[in-house]
Amino acid sequence: MSALTKSLHPDEKIKAGKLGQKMTMAGVGIAVVFLGLSILLGATHGDNWKRFLYAYVTGWSYIASIAIGMLWLVMLHHLTRSRWSTVVRRIAEAMTGAFPLIWLAGLGFILPVALGYKDLYYWAHPDAHNAALNPTIVHKAGWLSPGFFALRYVIYGMVYSGLSWYFASTSRKQDVTGDPALSTQMRVVSGPGMILYGFTTCFLAWDVLMSLAPKWYSTIYGVIYWGSGNIAAFAALGLIVLWIQRNGRLTHSINEEHYHDIGKWMFSFTFFWAYVQFSQFMLQWYGNMPEETNWYKYRMFGEWQWISIAMLACYWAFPFVFLMSRWTKRIVPSLVFFAVWQLVFHWLDMYWNAMPSYDWLVASHGGASIVQGPLAGNIALHHVGFTALDITVWLGLIGVFLAGTGRGLRDNLIPVKDPTLGLSLAHEVM
Amino acid sequence: MSTETHIEEPALPAQGELYGYLAEYDTPGELVEAARKVRDAGYTDFDCYSPFPVHGIDPAMGIKRTILPLVIFGGGFSGALGGLLLQWYCNAHAWTWNISGKPTWSIPANIPIAYECAILLSVFTTFFGMWAFNKLPQVWHPLFRLDRFTRVTDDGFFLGIEARDRRFDADKTKTLLQEAGAIALEPCYYDPDPKTRMMPKWITAFIVASTAFALIPFAIAAKARNSHSAEPHWHIFPDMDFQPKAKSDTANDLFPDGRTNRGEIAGTVARGWLENDDVLYHGLENGQWTTGFPKTHRDGTPFVVDAKLLARGQSRFNIYCTPCHGYDGRGQGMIPERVKALGGVWQARNLVEAPQADGKGGVVIQMPNGQLFNTISNGYNTMQGYAAQIPADDRWAIVSYVRALERAQNASTDDVPADQKGAVQ
Repeated sequence: MSALTKSLHPDEKIKAGKLGQKMTMAGVGIAVVFLGLSILLGATHGDNWKRFLYAYVTGWSYIASIAIGMLWLVMLHHLTRSRWSTVVRRIAEAMTGAFPLIWLAGLGFILPVALGYKDLYYWAHPDAHNAALNPTIVHKAGWLSPGFFALRYVIYGMVYSGLSWYFASTSRKQDVTGDPALSTQMRVVSGPGMILYGFTTCFLAWDVLMSLAPKWYSTIYGVIYWGSGNIAAFAALGLIVLWIQRNGRLTHSINEEHYHDIGKWMFSFTFFWAYVQFSQFMLQWYGNMPEETNWYKYRMFGEWQWISIAMLACYWAFPFVFLMSRWTKRIVPSLVFFAVWQLVFHWLDMYWNAMPSYDWLVASHGGASIVQGPLAGNIALHHVGFTALDITVWLGLIGVFLAGTGRGLRDNLIPVKDPTLGLSLAHEVM
Repeated sequence: MSTETHIEEPALPAQGELYGYLAEYDTPGELVEAARKVRDAGYTDFDCYSPFPVHGIDPAMGIKRTILPLVIFGGGFSGALGGLLLQWYCNAHAWTWNISGKPTWSIPANIPIAYECAILLSVFTTFFGMWAFNKLPQVWHPLFRLDRFTRVTDDGFFLGIEARDRRFDADKTKTLLQEAGAIALEPCYYDPDPKTRMMPKWITAFIVASTAFALIPFAIAAKARNSHSAEPHWHIFPDMDFQPKAKSDTANDLFPDGRTNRGEIAGTVARGWLENDDVLYHGLENGQWTTGFPKTHRDGTPFVVDAKLLARGQSRFNIYCTPCHGYDGRGQGMIPERVKALGGVWQARNLVEAPQADGKGGVVIQMPNGQLFNTISNGYNTMQGYAAQIPADDRWAIVSYVRALERAQNASTDDVPADQKGAVQ
């Protein structure tokens, strides 16, 4: 019998129990082992920690984008009064609960920059402020200064943590009081919250990732970072939900209908990513202005060409064609395959954004040797130069993310007194 | 479940043959349950009617998932290929047009149009495919003859079993529908007039006519491609092609001199264009080439030769002068280099050449500032004048930079301050 609304199954296990601690412990373990290993590898890499910090920015952008994507889901849920997502919302809230820890971990690259480290962001290097060589960087000098940069980082962290804290704690309050007015309140907050979120996410992407190539211009960059992050965020949500179900919780409440919707979001952001990425590419390709095309020049030709082609084929074409079908999203092992696949290639996306800036040109200018930074546009200069460090830092930071997420997996794993819970439990994808 | 089931034998005079039975149910849930029972009884020719999509009705009725998505994929794919083909045909095959040396057929530029064509054809396939698979429109459907059925767009949930179903049996079918909880049940008959059971003629006529009209532009294009004509081509939007406005440098009957361009009125000067400062605009001081610099800029601010002015001069020089004269001013810019590469001999004037002992050479270095300014403004030999491109202030900045360049290119160790001489030597 099909019904518009259902009540929780009487045998349903909705209490997290030790599940959260388990995830936190595992996360801490992974973080300690892999970050420890990374510090060893970084120290012996012999480039004054430069590779370590580039890998760190890559990995940090990765975990931050996942939490940012889930915060979007939580706010969208309230804003549109969604039904399907009520059963997974508590888990999404737990994932956004990782923000404070992620921001603490981010100090790993923010603090060195704030304290005068010059080899990560070219704009922090004194040679970048040579007006004859880099008029565009001099133009941006007010924005791209270490102190202001660190201050903005703190503000972004406060915005994200504040929003995630508000939605998670109000939702838990409703578990106790069952007051439907709290849903209305969250909906009202999520409107302006979404606007604040949009600005913060764009600025974060410009600051952390895009300013690695400070001479380059793109206004859509923040949207691309966000879209790409949401692919990974929904993939991670699917995997965490499955893990919780494998541990005997929520086995009756979340079914293939909800997995199907998670898969649909993954699919739509897979296409969205390609759409906005191409929007950026085509304008710059058509405009053909050196300060814009340089960024693509060393990604499209030379060693990075193969990474770019791999991105197009594996991060877009393959999952796009297969996730289009209904069954690939409804059969859980198939969805798991694509979730893991996209989580791996999301890392490659972050790597593709950050790492080509690693190689800096040092040239002679006016008789002196001057550091010209990553945007010299010399194809031969930019190497993929893959190292074990790139992976270990990434895994270590995933540990940080899991440790932060585990904190939120406590008490009820489902918003038990949410007015839309019944609709969500009975959700069917037509 | 309602027990007040009542059967109204023929609601309308039984004019045609029996179409089937229509049962009404109270809620969507009861409709789904009834559909399941009818399916389990082995019926296949039946349908459910509701004001909105009902969750779970498809499996309850035993309907397989539609193949429409696959058809849409085909439609979208053909759209993308068709879009690419269109652009290839137009740009690279039928009418190749060289735009700044770009390739005539270029994939990145073609993606947006291919993408839009894919969307267009997917949407068309979705829309028309849905109608076709549902065998719509059926404005002549016999159920519309029942008054009760009008509520299907409001609050009625109906299940109709057709008489052509091989399991149909007037009594058994009625009992089945009643047992499934029908709150009302009535038979439905065809209209006796067979014409009303077919698509109305005017719909067919409309489809044929609009298809024919849609082909007209293609027919015209095909004719135009295969014939010659002395007639001027058609103007579909004449008010866009012939706009009521005067364009510069054209003939115009309105004015006695027959020209659209209106010059200045005799004895007047446009605001800001007086240009009565001989030094600033002509490089002349008391009828002679000046050796100094103007006293003020165009905007009246004092003219000071400082690092800022030199930097401005450098930037203008690098833009306008270096293609011929080179960055060092020695006359070996990219254009002379190109001439050399093509086997020719030509060199631009060496701006920084020092005069020989016999007085030869060093033309520019010996020029007064005013003459140098005049050369930049009005040109010299094959060099064109730059007054139109470079404002007077900037031309003077270039003069100051050329003077600096001359000094720098002919520098000796004596120019180095005494306390830093050691470092150079």
